[in-house]
This record gives sequence, C-alpha cells and structure tokens, in this order.
Amino acid sequence: MATKSSMYAMYEAVQHEMRQRKDMTWLFELTPAVASNPGTPVINLEKEFGRTRVNNTGIDEMWMAGATLGAGLVGTTAVTYIPYQGSQVPFELIQNHAGKLRYMSGGDAAMPVVFIVEISGQAAGFGGQHSDYECDSYYTHIPGVKVVIPSRPYDAKGMMASAIRDPNPVVYLFPQALRQLSEEVPDEQFTVPLDKAAVRTTGSDLTIVSSGAGMVGVMEATAQLQKLGMKVEAIDLRSLKPMDTATLVASVQKTKRLLTFDQSYYTLSPGAEVVARVAENVVGARFKRIAFPDAPPPASPEMFNWMRPNASHIVAAATKFLG
Amino acid sequence: MSDQLTQATTNEMSSTTTTRRTLLKGFAAAGAAVTLAGKAWADGEIGYWAKDLPNEKLIEMYQTILRIRWFERTLADKQLSDRSFRNLIHLYAGQEAVATGVCAALNNKGAFSEIDVIYGTHRPTGHALAKGVDMKKLAAEYNFKATGLNGGYAGEMHLADKSVGYIGADGIVGPAAVLAAGSAFAFRARGSKQVAVVFGGDGTYATPAFHSSLNNAALLKLPFIYVVENNLYHQFAHYSYSCPMKDIATAASTYRIPGIVVDGQDVMEVYNKMKEAVERARAGEGPTLIEAKTYRYYAHWGAPGAKVGEMGSFGYDPQAITSWRPERELRAWLSRDPVDICRNTLVSWGVIDQAKAAAIEAAMKQEVKEAFEWEAKQPLCKPEDALKNVFIEGTVAARQFG
Repeated sequence: MATKSSMYAMYEAVQHEMRQRKDMTWLFELTPAVASNPGTPVINLEKEFGRTRVNNTGIDEMWMAGATLGAGLVGTTAVTYIPYQGSQVPFELIQNHAGKLRYMSGGDAAMPVVFIVEISGQAAGFGGQHSDYECDSYYTHIPGVKVVIPSRPYDAKGMMASAIRDPNPVVYLFPQALRQLSEEVPDEQFTVPLDKAAVRTTGSDLTIVSSGAGMVGVMEATAQLQKLGMKVEAIDLRSLKPMDTATLVASVQKTKRLLTFDQSYYTLSPGAEVVARVAENVVGARFKRIAFPDAPPPASPEMFNWMRPNASHIVAAATKFLG
Repeated sequence: MSDQLTQATTNEMSSTTTTRRTLLKGFAAAGAAVTLAGKAWADGEIGYWAKDLPNEKLIEMYQTILRIRWFERTLADKQLSDRSFRNLIHLYAGQEAVATGVCAALNNKGAFSEIDVIYGTHRPTGHALAKGVDMKKLAAEYNFKATGLNGGYAGEMHLADKSVGYIGADGIVGPAAVLAAGSAFAFRARGSKQVAVVFGGDGTYATPAFHSSLNNAALLKLPFIYVVENNLYHQFAHYSYSCPMKDIATAASTYRIPGIVVDGQDVMEVYNKMKEAVERARAGEGPTLIEAKTYRYYAHWGAPGAKVGEMGSFGYDPQAITSWRPERELRAWLSRDPVDICRNTLVSWGVIDQAKAAAIEAAMKQEVKEAFEWEAKQPLCKPEDALKNVFIEGTVAARQFG
C-alpha cells in the first residue's frame, strides 16, 4: 500500500498482467512506457519486457489501434496507449471493427484488447484541438465495445486489471487531468468491476452524477453543499458502457432531483444519457444539466476558465435547484 | 480467336468453349503449354517450386480453383434467374489462381496457435474456399441462414472462420491490412513461426492502411505478406485514377522490402512467389508485397450484363460511374483462363490426363450443386438472436418496443 498517482497505479496493473502473460503486448507513442512515483519502484515496460512486446511506434494511431486489434484477433492480449493528440484517429477501427467483429462473425472473433484513449481538456492555454474531452460520448455510442472512465487512482488500477482480463474489447478513457491525482493504492493486483457506478457520498436531497475528470469538481462542490446542510448523493459513473442504470435510478427514486455534470459538450454528453435513463424510470423527478457549451475550447484563460464547468457552477445550480 | 469465342457454349465439362479446348489441346501437344504456364521459368527465372509439389497437392490446387469457379458461377446464375435470391455477391470468378496459389503456400490445418492467418476482402469466396472453409456453410451464410458459417450475422462480406485461419473478410476496404500486420506483430512477440497475409485490391493502394501496414511491418520486420490482387479496377474506376504507377509492387521500394509482380492467372507462378515470401517471413526477414495481375469476369458486384450458363459480365454496366470495361478487354482475359492454365500444366506434367481433368471438374460441380441444395434446406435466423454476440457474454436489451 502506498500513495500513488493514477498513472502509476494504472501502469502497476499493466505490469502485473504483462508478467503473467508472456505474449501480451503494449504499443505506445508519445507517452513513454515508464511510470515513476515517490517511494515506489520505477516501472519501465520497455526495459522489462523488451521491444518485441513493447513498442514505440511512429505518429500512427491507426497502426497502434489496428495492430492491437490484429494481435487480439490471433489470441494475444494487447493494450495500446493512444495519446490525446490522436484520440479520435483510430475511431473507425474501434467503431467498425473492434465493435462489430464479434457480432458480425456470429461469435467467431475474440478480441481481448484494451484501447487506452487519453483525453484532455482541463487546462487553459491549450486551445481547441488539444482539448478533446468529448471523446467520452463518441466512443460510448459504439456497440460491442465496453467504455470505462476511472476518476481516481484506486479505480484506475482496478479497472485496468479488469479491462485487461475482460475478453471483450475495452476503451479505457484516461482523462489527462487525473494523471497526477494521488491516493492510497494497494500494491497487489485487484479488480474493480467494469459495469458498476460508485456512490461516493450518500444523501437524500440531490443526486449529482458525473465521471472521470468531472468528479473533481463534483466532490469539491459536494463538500461545500454538505457544509451548507444539503444531503448530496454524488455518483461516479465509472462505466459509460454498460451504464449502471440501476444505481442511478435507485438514487433518484430517493432524491427526486438529478443534476448531471459533464466536461464534454452539452449536446449528447454522457449526462444526457443519464437523464434519459432516469427519466424513463422515475416518475416525478426533476433534472438539471451542467456541461461545457457546444463550442471548441478557446486558448485564452479568461474565456476558457469562464466556459469550463466547475464546482462553483454546481454549488450555484444545486442551491437554486433546492431553493 | 475472338470469332471462335463468340460461339461459346458452356454446357460442357470444360468451363470454356469446345473450340478453344481443341485449340489448347493442340498447343499442349506441341509443348506450347509453356506459353501459358511457367513462362517466367522458361525465361530463366530460378526457383520453380511448384514443380516439386506432390501430385496430390497439385490436384488439390486444381480442385480448389474449380470449386471457386463453379461456386461463383452458380451464384451468378442464381442472381440472374432466381427471384428469391437475396444475397449480395461480389464475384471472384477470374481470380481463382491468386487465392489458390497463395493459400497453397500456407499452413491451413492445425491448432489456431499454429496455423497461418489470412485477412480477406469484400470479395471473399476465393480466399475462404482456398483457406479451407466448408463450402456448405459458406453457401448458407451467403443466404443468411442460421446454420451458416457465422450464424447468418456476417453475410458475404464479413465471413470469418478462425478454425482454418480465415480471420475474415473485411467489408471496409483498407483497415484489414493494419489488422493483419498487427497479427504478425503478435506472432513475432510470441516467437511463433506463423505468418499473416492480407489480400487487398488495387484500390487499397490509395488507403492509408496500405502504407501504414507496410511501413510498420518493414520497420519491425514482421512476418506479414500483402497480396495485392490488381484486377485493374476498383469498383468502376481504372486503377490509374488512384495509383501513379503501373506496377503497384513498385511501392515496396519505399519501404525497402521486396515487391514482386506475378501473373495472377497462373496458379503455379503465384505459388512460387508466395512460397518464397512465406519462407522469408518465417526466417524473420520481414514482409513482402506481392502484386498479382488478374481480372474479375463479372462486375464489381452482382452480374449485370451476364447470361445464365455463360460466364462474364458484358456490355453496359448500369452501376458504372467513372469508366466501364471494354468488352474486348474482358474477352482477352477470358482467353487466358486460370482453370485452363492449371489444367494444361497438370496435363503436360503428366499428373492427370484430359479424362481425369474432366472427371475432377464434374466432381467439383457436383460438390457445389450439393452445397447449394443443402443450403436451401437450412433454417432462417431467429429474430431474437439479434441481441446475442454483441459481447462474448450475455445479450443486449431490446429497445425497439418502447
């Protein structure tokens, strides 16, 4: 047990599985296959497993995703880390191939693969293309691929272990903002389910739902609201597909108020899906959505910081909701 | 030659005209079989590995070519005459020697962890049958039957049969190359001697995946072979619309790998070059690009301009947008038919005689006939099965009922 960053915790999970499976491969590009953390050993996948298994590719995300899928199709567990700059380049391969091959082949194809899709969008100054948090929605719409998004180091490790062990293709969204979040994470391998949301705080006044990088603002806002006497149930989706409808519905049955919080754009954000599922199943619930406007993120900090949803937006909206 | 060809009747044992057969018999007798087969050998090319194959193997290759030929001709005739025919077809007739020669050089039987794998195209019949897919199940899958190769989920364009190393047809032109090179990457990572092959048409030269797969396979010295089936047209456009070279194999020099042009109508030539490429791959020497010059007798899909009992799509093609093929071009290719070339080679080598050749063809026609008869009796899919197989486990929820 030690304090670990999300990045280090995730690499721990990968290293463990690569030690168990002598064929397992890892393809990376800009993000070195190295993770370090104060007080714990350095993880260097390339050094430990060699360059026939761990490969630094060129700027060719189609190759990274395609090779990973092709390796999976012949029985090798394969993982690739797609950096945020190329997060959408392999979309067709994941949508039309990984997502459909099992089905189209009537059960013949097996793809034990994980596509780590790094997503960014949290810092002013980066601007439009370098802020692509919206990938959460794009990948979630694909049938045949599981889509998960951890929000903390513990889940980053446990969900990576589960994703690698899952015999289906998994898109593991990795918000860049979480790379340096730290918390206590066990040293031994453990798993976190890929289909369960996590109820972070319990309460009966208001349900707040978010995922990934959004959870930082949600937890901050929840703490403030609780100080103001509001009983908030904060739910971390963790899995976008399959989405844990049961947990969401049970919560809003209790609170009758749902506020969704997205770092991605308003139209078709994950929060929209949450609202739809709850609305189908809970009579008399009321809804509020907070999301990034339907605009590419600007570089200017004044504009960006004003646009990006944060804890203060949640506090204000929640107060109005209950008031 | 062309006058004689217009008298074509095809209700014969041979798949071409009686007059042409007589002509070719004469050529063979004169030892001129070499003009149709083994030309490269006669020109001094060293290494004619096909000559060392045992008779059984050579006969198997002839049988495979015939299986593909008659399967495709049956599909074409059905489309033209059977109102209940609902299949989508992209006919491979004319290209049989390529799939046959390539697969003859691969390991197609054994454990999945040991056999070679191929990735095919939306024109899958040849690749599937040459790799060893069950013909009955193929026919049933094309007609979306529940007992088809892929349970009716695939249809023609997404066939897959892992048990013989046919990872699958890929309905989208392009990405299969990267997947295949990825499989080769896995083979090298696990220290296996397996080889991954992708078939792609001349149209794939323009796709990003062509270049990505060759670049990465070359960089990593992967056991990957790209077989370009250049049938001169991608859909309806001549390949000069999308490729700046006459020989697509020239592209190999960019990646510092061997690029081989081969006569795709001569199964022995295809086998020879493929065998060399496979040995290079297994020895860890990296990828090869093979360009097979070939031709499809029918249109991109379906059989427009064709007649029941005659082979080939002639005349105006209502699907053609950019260019359509001159009839005389088609007839020129028909006169160098892969079935004839293979048969003449085997006869001139004394492997079979004409009577045996005819008997083999009759047997293959019968096998095809029985496959389609079997298919006709197979059940349709259960609609609810549509919710299965999205993931390995479970079913998804029905959402269409509100």
